Amino acid sequence: MVVGVGLHPFGRFPDKDLSALAIEAVLPALKDAGVKWKDIAIAYFGHVYYQGMSVGETTLSKLGLTGVPIVNVENACSSGSTAFWQAYWGITTGLYDMALAFGAEKVPRGPVTVTAEDSPERYIGGDHMMAGYALRSKRYMEDTGAPATALAQVSVKARQNASMNPYAHRKDTYTIEEVLNSRMVADPLTLFQCCPTSEGGAAAVLCARENLADYGIDESRAVSIAAAVLTSGDYNGRGADHSAFSPYRTEPAALQAYEMSGLGPEDVDLVQVHDAATIGELQQIEALHLFPFGEAWQGTVEGRTALSGDIPVNTDGGLLAMGHPFGASGIRMIHETVTQLRGEAGPRQVANARVGVAQCSGAGDVTTVHILKKG
Amino acid sequence: MLGMVGQWACIMADMPNTNQSVLPVSIDHNRLKLTNDDANNGPLGGTLTGFRCKECGASVFGPAIFCQSCTSTDLEPVDLGDQGVLYSFTIVRIPPAGWPGDVPYVLGQVELPSGPQVLAEVIDCEHSDLKIGMPVEMTIQAVPAENGGPDKAVYKWRPAKSGE
Repeated sequence: MVVGVGLHPFGRFPDKDLSALAIEAVLPALKDAGVKWKDIAIAYFGHVYYQGMSVGETTLSKLGLTGVPIVNVENACSSGSTAFWQAYWGITTGLYDMALAFGAEKVPRGPVTVTAEDSPERYIGGDHMMAGYALRSKRYMEDTGAPATALAQVSVKARQNASMNPYAHRKDTYTIEEVLNSRMVADPLTLFQCCPTSEGGAAAVLCARENLADYGIDESRAVSIAAAVLTSGDYNGRGADHSAFSPYRTEPAALQAYEMSGLGPEDVDLVQVHDAATIGELQQIEALHLFPFGEAWQGTVEGRTALSGDIPVNTDGGLLAMGHPFGASGIRMIHETVTQLRGEAGPRQVANARVGVAQCSGAGDVTTVHILKKG
Repeated sequence: MLGMVGQWACIMADMPNTNQSVLPVSIDHNRLKLTNDDANNGPLGGTLTGFRCKECGASVFGPAIFCQSCTSTDLEPVDLGDQGVLYSFTIVRIPPAGWPGDVPYVLGQVELPSGPQVLAEVIDCEHSDLKIGMPVEMTIQAVPAENGGPDKAVYKWRPAKSGE
């Protein structure tokens, strides 16, 4: 079960180093769980950009040297959710009573690239995350008839949700016209349809249900992990050299997660998905079978994915408004899901939320899907 | 061109060809095979290349040691030609770090007749003429190398001349 969550606000913090961002998420998570650092039996740290060796160890040493295993996890944008996935399995095997999954990042400004200097991709012009999402957008619009305004609505909704979230990088709202008139990055994606690169930290404390009493943990605020799934790319007949080629690679992970949890799309009350660009949200909620393929844009226009809709998506603002510190984002999704299932989301609260899904993608065709359940 | 076939073919193809020192070199011998690499002058010519799995029949663009679909090592190098259809495209106005070309540039996702898709710049086409489904053909341009050395021969797409 998730027994504690903590978040350092997302944004730009030039006066803080990576460790500070991480620690200021870990301490609130421990406090939220009502446990001490020395209760943690294993820790997993998600981060991507190189900050020196064994950053997890040097960071947590500030809380005291307890000798526990600490694992540094790099899985691109899914690093944080992969750390959480590992923590889940660390607990589930029975080897550890209590686990900490945490992540932090200081992402450099500017377009994100994934390949090294002088690699062929640099000359081809395809080493450009948002260009990949733009290719997906163009094809989706051609296939489904989705207008540009439907994609922009995803971003408008994200900002509306974030305006009620003190942790968000971008809290000001805007209109569809302002989204479409912002600077063009890669046609049809404008700047306000691309997530900001950011800094921040997130943490979660996990403990098996049968051990809660031993540590004096309040079971009424603990949230069950009904499914924890991590997948990489499979062969789709087109080659796996670019994310644009497999926009629905979340589907196999989603099906595994539904099977593991005994739940189905009809049971899901709210969902956090990887919306690095607007098209990402539409295709992820289709891959999760929350909407038929090609119809998520209509559901978005109809307001079904808004906080007041029947399937609220990215209730905290998502990557589009929270920003995207790679190592932290996946655990940020867990933070929001847990907060909602506890009924502690304040003005963003989804009524009667019992089941939440957190889906996070990463370069290398990585997908994580976690299903959390109240009680 | 390839001295060996099968699992080591792509590694052999990676080895530098000392005869080409003053001519552009392919940005990746496993993706683009140059056909006029014998010091003759004239436009750069070549074909896209990849591997076909003899066990399951899957085709892969670019390097492969194992079949991505069935993990077999029984692969044969194949020419994938120079024709395709535009599957999707975008006009990139904020380029990635290290981009050596003009801005904006058009990035095209092109489907080959044998199935694989190939990302490359689309040139010689007005933005207003770009259309999903249009036939395109591969062309090769020399681009200065990022770290010095011979120019890189880069495969790009342009509208097919046949206009079929």
